[in-house]
Amino acid sequence: MADVRDIMELDQPVTPELTRESIIGSDKLKKRTFSTTKTQRRPEGMHREVFALLYSDTKDAPPLFPSDTRMRRPRKWEWMPFTNPARTDSAVFYHWRRPSDGPKEYPFAKFNKKIDIPTYTDAIYQQHLQTEGWTKEETDHLMDLARRFDLRFIIMADKYDTEKYNKRSIEDLKERYYKVSGILAKSSGERKVYHYDADHERRRKEQLKRLYDRTPEQIEEEQFLINELKKIEARKKERERKTQDLQKLISQADSQADHLRKADKKIPKKKLANPTRPSRVDTSHILQAVETAGIKFPDYKNSGVSLRSQRMKLPANVGQKKSKGIEQLLQEMEMELNPIPTEEVCQHFNELRSDMVLHMELKAALTSCEFELQSLRHQYEALSPGKTLTIPPQLLSSTTENDGMKLSGNPEIIDVVGSPGTPSGAGT
Amino acid sequence: MSLPTDFGPDSGGRIKGVCIVKPIVYGNIARYFGKKREEDGHTHQWTVYVKPYYNEDMSAFIKKVHFKLHESYANQNRIVVKPPYEISETGWGEFEIVIKIHFHDPNERPVTMYHILKLFHSGNTNDIGLEQGKGLVSESYDEIVFQDPTQLMHHLLTNTKQLTLTAWDHNTNFEEKKKKTVKSIQDAKQKVRLEVVLLKNRLKLARETIAQFKEEIAKLQENQYVI
Repeated sequence: MADVRDIMELDQPVTPELTRESIIGSDKLKKRTFSTTKTQRRPEGMHREVFALLYSDTKDAPPLFPSDTRMRRPRKWEWMPFTNPARTDSAVFYHWRRPSDGPKEYPFAKFNKKIDIPTYTDAIYQQHLQTEGWTKEETDHLMDLARRFDLRFIIMADKYDTEKYNKRSIEDLKERYYKVSGILAKSSGERKVYHYDADHERRRKEQLKRLYDRTPEQIEEEQFLINELKKIEARKKERERKTQDLQKLISQADSQADHLRKADKKIPKKKLANPTRPSRVDTSHILQAVETAGIKFPDYKNSGVSLRSQRMKLPANVGQKKSKGIEQLLQEMEMELNPIPTEEVCQHFNELRSDMVLHMELKAALTSCEFELQSLRHQYEALSPGKTLTIPPQLLSSTTENDGMKLSGNPEIIDVVGSPGTPSGAGT
Repeated sequence: MSLPTDFGPDSGGRIKGVCIVKPIVYGNIARYFGKKREEDGHTHQWTVYVKPYYNEDMSAFIKKVHFKLHESYANQNRIVVKPPYEISETGWGEFEIVIKIHFHDPNERPVTMYHILKLFHSGNTNDIGLEQGKGLVSESYDEIVFQDPTQLMHHLLTNTKQLTLTAWDHNTNFEEKKKKTVKSIQDAKQKVRLEVVLLKNRLKLARETIAQFKEEIAKLQENQYVI
């Protein structure tokens, strides 16, 4: 604990340092603790676990019990000299050892590892190792340092003889060292050669240094920019999603229109002489398509178990608008949305809802027909002023709500652009 | 139950063209304590159940019924392997219970129903005449349809025993409900069909009128070009 405090440069604990006496309790100390306190208080800053290890008379007796094993004679220790073979000076030291162990090599000697630093002769240097910026003397100095400090390049750079040679960076030293050792290893036929990419290392350090040297303002700005980027990307994604949805819708509408057009081939399209209103919809094909509308419920002829109520689920291809419409109609007629699912009910209920969809579509088609009639009439009136066409009274929308029941469909399948107002530029 | 040897899950053969229907009733009853319970704030005792519509022992073909309760209940997944298929609990809130019925024949997929546990009276609940409106029942009728059952399943389905010797009835009068529902749907269908016919006629007329108008306009335009 004290070491940690030293390192962290914290104040020394207020409690006295733990010494051998305070733990084992010299006679004097023991007496004092006995006389002054009944129970020893845990000193501040001492962990509970450590405190629990302390000896205290007030606690339970130590868990000792008499044993019947006889005391054996302890083996002998002897204070004897030894030499460390890792040392070159054959100095003699002393340590405690059991005589019974016999003379052995000092066991820690093997940890003194020496690194093989390549050597070269003058001739080899002249032949292979010459390079710009390095003299043989300086290279020798480098290799000497490498040997002395076991390739600890940081220390080597520190101890570099800057009086004789220029100051060199760690990367320079490494680069030179590995180049020399690489060339030597290659010439001696070694396959594996270490290559040191000094440039990469310099860049890496430069990068780290810059990262470390950022000011708080720069860090803040960077954070801000990252957040902005995230926002932009989120928005982009959202936009893409929306376009995709739109595409899907359009292609769906297209395929539907294609489908309708095919059914419509026999009806020749009359070119309307009114190019300024191109969005007039030719309703005739809709009318044909509508008559076959309804809901196609899947056949439940597949083998297996199912619930009857499942068969009353609207198929997935029935859009939300239609299902909402059905719901509304059912509510208006005060009927359950999920009636009791018997076979009979199931069949009739599905037919009913199919008819309801057909009803809604017919109604929508009729509305668009009305629009077309109106606009045709206006066109006619514009072509020949003073004359008009009569729309049969049954077809006027004011008469649609006279059937005793209010089946209100959604007459908005076709959005006829422009109200049937005065056509501009008629007859051109 | 002894089975002929050619039956079994591995025999696999389905009996084509056979359709067996097993009507069931599922739902819950609930009883109000009369006050909020001190310890846990619970107010109701309830029982969620699946039972046969007719008096028959469904364990002949049902392997187990799995009730999935709200996650706040200890072991929210409750499994019942024999009748009565029911779970009783106490609580204070309504939630959706997922009921999954597994069958003895592994070739038949389980069916799943969803029931909203009802504790308080609303449109779809009935009083069960417990101490002044303190009890209610909310139950639904459904039918399990076995289309082309396997041999094993067919055997199990057609050899059920009675569940009780006493009369078997339900809190809800489903027969009456069936009749009423069929009638109202048929009425509605008739109405809609009538409407549809009317609409079709009008549409036809509209189409003819449009064609006629167009012709008139075309005539006018031709004349104009001539001029």
